[in-house]
Amino acid sequence: MKVIIKRWHAVAQWRWDTGVSSDDGDEEGDVCGICRVPFEGCCPSCKVPGDDCPLIWGECTHVFHMHCLLRWIGTAASNQQCPMDRRPWVTAERKVKNLVPGAGAAAPSAS
Amino acid sequence: MATDALRAQVASKWQESFTRLNQNEPGLVGLLNFSQAWNIARECVRPRSLEEPDALTQYEKPTFQASFELLNKCRRLPILLETFLEDMRKRFPVIKAEMDQYTLDYQRTSDTIHILNLVLRLLQWYQKWIPRPELGATLQSAFVLSFQTHIFSSLSPTFVRGFKELCASTLPPVDSDTILPEPNPKMWEAFEILGLLDRYENIIASVAYEHIETYVLTTCAGHWSESMLVHLRKWMADKIVPWMMLMYGRTVTTTNDAQSMLQNVGSRFDFHMAKTLCDLRTQEIFDIIIDFPDSTGALQDLRDCLHRVDQRAALVHALRKANQKRLLHPGADTRLILTQYVATIKCLRIIDPPGVLLFKVADPIRRYLRERPDTIRCIVSNLVGDEDSGDSLVDESEPIQPLQQSELEEYTDPNWEPEPVDAGPDFRANKPSDVISTLISIYDSKDLFVKELQVLLAQRLLAITDDNSEKVEKERRNIEILKIRFGEAALQVCEVMLKDMTDSKRINGHIQSHKESVIHPTIISKHFWPILEAGEISMPGQFQTFQDEYAKEFSAFKPDKKLRWLPHMGTVHLELQLEDRAIEADVPPLEAAFIELFSEQDVWTMDQLITKTGLSVDRKAALKALLTWVDLGAIKEVSEHTFKLLEVAEASTAGRELRAATTSVVELPSALSIQQQQAEQMKLYWKFIEGMLTNLGSLPIDRIQSMLRLAQGYDQTVEQLGAFMEAARSEGLVITRDGMWRLNPK
Ligand SMILES: [Zn+2]
Ligand SMILES: [Zn+2]
Ligand SMILES: [Zn+2]
Repeated sequence: MKVIIKRWHAVAQWRWDTGVSSDDGDEEGDVCGICRVPFEGCCPSCKVPGDDCPLIWGECTHVFHMHCLLRWIGTAASNQQCPMDRRPWVTAERKVKNLVPGAGAAAPSAS
Repeated sequence: MATDALRAQVASKWQESFTRLNQNEPGLVGLLNFSQAWNIARECVRPRSLEEPDALTQYEKPTFQASFELLNKCRRLPILLETFLEDMRKRFPVIKAEMDQYTLDYQRTSDTIHILNLVLRLLQWYQKWIPRPELGATLQSAFVLSFQTHIFSSLSPTFVRGFKELCASTLPPVDSDTILPEPNPKMWEAFEILGLLDRYENIIASVAYEHIETYVLTTCAGHWSESMLVHLRKWMADKIVPWMMLMYGRTVTTTNDAQSMLQNVGSRFDFHMAKTLCDLRTQEIFDIIIDFPDSTGALQDLRDCLHRVDQRAALVHALRKANQKRLLHPGADTRLILTQYVATIKCLRIIDPPGVLLFKVADPIRRYLRERPDTIRCIVSNLVGDEDSGDSLVDESEPIQPLQQSELEEYTDPNWEPEPVDAGPDFRANKPSDVISTLISIYDSKDLFVKELQVLLAQRLLAITDDNSEKVEKERRNIEILKIRFGEAALQVCEVMLKDMTDSKRINGHIQSHKESVIHPTIISKHFWPILEAGEISMPGQFQTFQDEYAKEFSAFKPDKKLRWLPHMGTVHLELQLEDRAIEADVPPLEAAFIELFSEQDVWTMDQLITKTGLSVDRKAALKALLTWVDLGAIKEVSEHTFKLLEVAEASTAGRELRAATTSVVELPSALSIQQQQAEQMKLYWKFIEGMLTNLGSLPIDRIQSMLRLAQGYDQTVEQLGAFMEAARSEGLVITRDGMWRLNPK
């Protein structure tokens, strides 16, 4: 017998590829360290998740909602450091350049 | 001496009396005149038998007038009156005997003609005996009083009964076909003269009241579509007022008198008519609400009657009782209760716009609905216009407006009015709000509805298997409308779900154009869709390959994202190419996974298949999936829970027997034949039908069908229902007559 699939209506969820947990284990614990909302949710100032509320990767391997991090970096208290490890924030170019060109350059110079 | 003095005194008195009687005539002439006058006068007023000639024929008018004058002068008229009354008393037994005879005749024949004859006979006696008016008012009124006293003391309860019946027979008949009896003014005159009208006023009124009641009940019961009050008032004006005029109007001479009489008596009759109609509609209220909007006339009547008659408490009581008995019980479907509740809201708004009655009636319904597990789902599916949720609870005409949840009274409201007197302490002056707001306010918060809305929307969106953007657009329009009700923020999640639908289509379009695939996925945002039923299947063989390929293409298109399949969801359209045939089917993923495994190996046990597809599949679901293929003739069960691929089709009978054997063990309805399923389904609905017929008496088939359509999952046609009812009839459960079905009483 041969089974021929004519059409398959399937259902899938999209996930951010955070690169770290490369294989799809249980990713339930993946929340933004700033707003505590899951990455696949959206930051407190957004209503729609995904491309409209993207993630930002640091060289330090920490990941945040981009909007959350930008807001953090904009505060005086941040000293433009990663809120998790207090190392100077450097955006990992590899990931973010596809999403928001120029974000990596703009972030550190917030006044 | 004392004796002398006494004698002198007596003598003087006698002399005085004599002088008066003798009227200063010479000798005894005066006394003789007096004696003659007395005799004439007494003969004039003597109660005669009916056959005797009248006094008038015996004496000339001047003669008896002179006699009376003489008696009057001598102050002897009071004595004459006494004598006359005494004569009457002595003669009355003759009349009494006649009365008894007439009464006996009536009692024997029940014919009111005897009562009429009795009255007319009494009138004859009355007219024979009444003193001539020329003899003065005193004499006449004394006679009337005495005569009536004699009559009334002689009338028996039987007469009263007959009298009432006689009065009733003069009323216009209730059915318009019978001709109105010829009015008999003479009879009413006799009643009036003999004092029967005054004495039996209450009885006559009760005749009219009972007549009005009968008429109202026969013409109005069950007639709800139009207002009957107008018709009833016309009937009263045409038929009852003329009758009233016969009875009460005889003494009326001026139009002013007539008007005040009509206002007085007429308003009492009108009140009685309104009360009768009000009572009737109160009794019928539950069914009137069921029939709404076809029963608008009855509701308007009830409103008008309630202005006239204070029966509001009775109405509330009756409706609450009917609801308790016929609506708020386990046999009633939630959708039916909701429908009736909404109709109740609309109906009571007509009757009582301030909403006091509704508040009192609605409370138990709302409390009951709150206890029901599926109330929210019912309301929500109605909101989203679910095709099989029966009649819409919401009028298309009703404007869509935001939910009104303001519990606090608005003191700045310029239209504020004091609460009605019977409002009660708990009454919240709820501003006339729309039906949906009222339904949602059954619960303390609207959040439950929003959650349910999300679940329902998710189910409906995921059921769209064919990239049909028209269907998505329809849901979007729906959500736009619901946003007006629930607010933008509450439905944000739904917004994301809809966006996922359009994004999926766009992404799929891109991927297909890049590398064609049989998979067309709906890609959802994890936290924005309700938690969907769990289930993990690892898809075997080519399925796995297709999944992986598509996921790779997706990540190429969206480098920062990856796909995580929810393999238990969705539908597969596939074709099995076997040696002698091809089988095409739309199946759930588990079915697809299983048959894919059969393409690798001919024989599988169920446990092996479960192991191959990831262990988390439950046995019931696995069996169901296998039976799907058994039904389609692709595989067969060779020993318990061991299945073999049928490369070559087998005779269908063998398969059928086996299937019957299998299903009898596991009782899986989805594997039953269509007819069996229908029979099973109808059995399920029998308790609804039984409940309906218990509550509503008899119903036509269309009505049963429309009520069943409100039941969860009911999808039978009216023809199928008819066949079922016929079957129920042959089992003696129901009987049918004139197209109406009712329960067999025995
Ligand atoms: Zn965040
Ligand atoms: Zn954001
Ligand atoms: Zn860091």
